[in-house]
Amino acid sequence: MQKDTDSAVIQEKLKELYHLIHQCQEERNRSEHNLTNIAKTHERMQHEQKLSPYYKTKLRGLYNTAMQDAECEAELLRKALDVIAEVRTIRNERRLAAKKSERPKETIRRGALMKMLQQNALTLPLWIPKDDEKPPPLCGAVPAEPNYVAKAGDMVASLVKGPDGDENWILAEVITYNHNTNKYEIDDIDEEQKERHVLSRRRVVPLPLMRANPETNPDALFPKGALVMALYPQTTCFYRAVIHEIPEAVKEDYQVLFEDSSYTEGYSPPLSVAQRYVISCKESRKK
Amino acid sequence: MKGKGKGKDSTDSKECPLQFPDFTPTEHTRVCPRFTAVLQRTEEIGVGLEDIDALQLEIETLLVSVTKRQKQLDQEMKVLISWQEKKTPGKLQPESTGKRSRPDEGKPTKRFKDASGKAHPLTGGGRPKKNFQSQAKFQEYEFSDSPVELSRLPKNDAPNRFWASIEPYCAEVTQDNIKVLEDLIKTHEEDAEYYKIPTLGKHYSLKWAQEDMVEEQKEGAKTNDKRRGLSNNSSLNSTDAEKILKKVDKEYESDDTSPFGALTQRLVSCLIEENLMASLEDSMVDTDSKDNIDDSSSPNPGKGGFIRSLNIGNTTQLEKRIRQELKEQGILELDDVTTENPEDEVLAELRKCQAELKSVTTQNILHAKHLLHQAKEEMKKQELRKKLLIIDTEVMEVYKKMASARQKKKIPTKKEKDQAWKVLKERENVLKQLDS
Repeated sequence: MQKDTDSAVIQEKLKELYHLIHQCQEERNRSEHNLTNIAKTHERMQHEQKLSPYYKTKLRGLYNTAMQDAECEAELLRKALDVIAEVRTIRNERRLAAKKSERPKETIRRGALMKMLQQNALTLPLWIPKDDEKPPPLCGAVPAEPNYVAKAGDMVASLVKGPDGDENWILAEVITYNHNTNKYEIDDIDEEQKERHVLSRRRVVPLPLMRANPETNPDALFPKGALVMALYPQTTCFYRAVIHEIPEAVKEDYQVLFEDSSYTEGYSPPLSVAQRYVISCKESRKK
Repeated sequence: MKGKGKGKDSTDSKECPLQFPDFTPTEHTRVCPRFTAVLQRTEEIGVGLEDIDALQLEIETLLVSVTKRQKQLDQEMKVLISWQEKKTPGKLQPESTGKRSRPDEGKPTKRFKDASGKAHPLTGGGRPKKNFQSQAKFQEYEFSDSPVELSRLPKNDAPNRFWASIEPYCAEVTQDNIKVLEDLIKTHEEDAEYYKIPTLGKHYSLKWAQEDMVEEQKEGAKTNDKRRGLSNNSSLNSTDAEKILKKVDKEYESDDTSPFGALTQRLVSCLIEENLMASLEDSMVDTDSKDNIDDSSSPNPGKGGFIRSLNIGNTTQLEKRIRQELKEQGILELDDVTTENPEDEVLAELRKCQAELKSVTTQNILHAKHLLHQAKEEMKKQELRKKLLIIDTEVMEVYKKMASARQKKKIPTKKEKDQAWKVLKERENVLKQLDS
């Protein structure tokens, strides 16, 4: 039943998205006219080598229109993105519910899991500032607020004691958070190890909820040379690493050097890790 | 469009702070294939779940470009407004439209659209200049009366000061600059003096002792003269002094350290060692040499006496002679000639300082030469630029001539055409040279 209503909602949302996209394009078409006008005026102004007040006023008018158009367009695009995000949350909730009810589900193959993680990282919402907003917590390298509590279904890195006693930072998903004991119940993302862990919040680090745009918010990225914890490619474990190169475009990843004593320099060659799977390094190492 | 008007316009365009950014919207057909595909679908097909990943990325791209555009527009707008407001009264710049429109800022753009569409009554585009200026003057008076204008008047000369401080760094390279550089390089040629190592002088303790003696002797002579008025004693005194000095000398020699140079010591020790190794019996017989060894190897008080007993007057002289001899024999390499006493701290310090000086001067020379080279290059470019300026004015003259001819509906003569072509080609040549 729940499933049916959910999919109905999703269908509804997708329809909304369809209309929004069309509206976006209409808005874009509308503003395009004005923008070409601006370009033409620019050209003429530069050509004339002389700026009469007439042109200045004209330009101001054009700019004002363009700004309003851009605002409308941005609003529609944001709405579309919101709808997409909503669809995602609905799907995620459905998945969580399914997981709760019938625990032993079909296990995902490792390759598929890795692909899914990559896709998750890629579709992590991009944070696009309105005006001059500062990047919010959990956007890129911006840490969470001290009393932040990860929601159910959020991805986290958590320090888990393995069967042979050694501790590892693993990629996990939050099941619940107990406010009385201040402990998370988390689920290893690698479902081969089917066990839940109950960990104090100190051992759980929420992953970024948004990507930072290197072009507009380079300050929300880890700087080059920063010590971080990053998900080692093709694994579900976080290891200490040093940022080698920061992403330059929205779709690019970090290049990081993992601490690895099997290499003579003590570091692995540069490996790419998505923004989502790079978090600031917890200083407390296992002692 | 001539005379005063033109001059003002040219400065105007120079001052134009606008960037004229490119506001061309993102080409969605190229950058966002899925977005475009969805646009072409009918409503029944709509959007599928499989589309949302790609769509999200594409919409994000679009949104980024829009926000970027918003930012740029905002910036340009601010520049435009402040530019329109900033005109100083002395400039005779028609401000009317800028000032008038200021209060409208917050209001919808419709009015602006009107203004741009219908051409504002105050500032028609193709209006004759004369009219324009008188209008401007009129406006100017109006504004200098307004209190807003007055309150903004306090002049800020920070920009001027800033540019004045920058000026020396952007000034043209002159012949003087090059001369300074050349002189700078030349001064280093006279550095050789600093690399000389003076010959080892007398040890300061000796020198001081001598000086003290001479001084005391003089003092003594004076008192003697006064007391006895005899001149004989003074000569006696001087011989006394010499004696004492010699004594000091000897004392110095009898110091633990051997007065002989490194080479002398090495040479002698070589000979002795060999003697010793030859055979034990020999050494037993040859008591003299054995004694020698004992004496020289043990720092007993007899050592000084032994050395004195050798009665070699000038040890440094001996050392020099040995060196000379060794060199002539070809035993000593030329490099070894410079080997100095390793314990000579003063020399070591001197060497160190010289090495430092050398590295510093080589660096300096290197940089100075580099600078000189660049300055010379820049000079050449400056020449070219000057030439270009001249040619540019020529081009403008020719152009003006042609334009006026055209206005009078005259066809330019062949001569005029040729001249135009010539000047243009010259200009191109200079530009090429500048680029290369």
